[in-house]
Amino acid sequence: MTATTLLELRDVRAGYDGITVLQGVSLSVAAGQVVALLGPNGAGKTTTLRVAAGIHPVDSGRLQLAGRNVTGASPRDLARAGVCLIPEGRGVFPNLSVRDNLLMMTFTGRPREQIEQIAYARFPILAKRAAQAAGTLSGGEQQMLALARGLATDPAVLLLDELSMGLAPLVVGRLYEQVAEIARHGVAVLVVEQFAAAVLDIADHAAVLVRGRVAHRIQPDRGSHAELAALYLGSTP
Amino acid sequence: MTETETRADRFARELAELKIPDPAAQRAGLWLRLGVLMMVLGLVLAASAYFISHNTTDPLVQRDALALALGGIAGTVVGSALFLRYSLTGFLRFWMARQSYDLALLADRLFERDLNDGFASTDSAPR
Repeated sequence: MTATTLLELRDVRAGYDGITVLQGVSLSVAAGQVVALLGPNGAGKTTTLRVAAGIHPVDSGRLQLAGRNVTGASPRDLARAGVCLIPEGRGVFPNLSVRDNLLMMTFTGRPREQIEQIAYARFPILAKRAAQAAGTLSGGEQQMLALARGLATDPAVLLLDELSMGLAPLVVGRLYEQVAEIARHGVAVLVVEQFAAAVLDIADHAAVLVRGRVAHRIQPDRGSHAELAALYLGSTP
Repeated sequence: MTETETRADRFARELAELKIPDPAAQRAGLWLRLGVLMMVLGLVLAASAYFISHNTTDPLVQRDALALALGGIAGTVVGSALFLRYSLTGFLRFWMARQSYDLALLADRLFERDLNDGFASTDSAPR
């Protein structure tokens, strides 16, 4: 049985101030899939995520969610529908407690108790830190909180930007285990990651973005790391 | 039916129900321009009505001018409302985001200062 494609970008071109960053990006993520978007700095990975979340306008091409063309829809509408972007740098309120950070997600209409239940079930350490200011948590815990906040919106499409940034490899591994678990519940996950090794273990497939184009699509296996290294260095594997 | 299908199906249904404005229509920009136009037109009508009423002694024409002026002012009010609605909301959203960012920045600075104070207190050098 083929899983429903929840997120699809078709020949998307986008840029900043007349400079085209994405030069015809096409990729799709089905329900329950984890797709890694890899590539060197400035390749357009974050812009792709911003386009997928509706934050950045598309110059040409289409953004489709569950088969519906939503190009140009406001990020608010997409978020309400079930698209959740967890930006680079965690995106938590550092001066608020963990509990208050979760409370902020009640705008989704879910009661506070339910949000806390989801968050603490997935990340039990957050329950112990409930009264602690988010800014005083470790990097990994802050990322857990960001993920928990994202999950509180009951996303159908989860967009993750540089989950591993500033974290120890062990913590990154645990976080990606959780991401894989989230995907198993039917969420389409698109992960932007500069450190490929971290995400290839859980990704169903990966797209390598080079200078605004999907230069290569790879199936994660043992050979993919060498393949990636060659692509990063600009040679054909 | 698996849980996967359930969430995906629900997502598709919710998207179908969602009223996403056609980006090609650019209605927000249209309303904004209409608001500006109504504001200007209303004022022009009101000013014209003033001159019409002053250039005649016919009370019927003066009453028409009065109605015209009132219509113009009403148009200006509606135009102003449209203009504020479609120009200020974007600004207010940005302002709220900015406030939130400033608060986060302030918290970071305070946290950093506390950390620095903590380090300073362990320093045995006289101050």
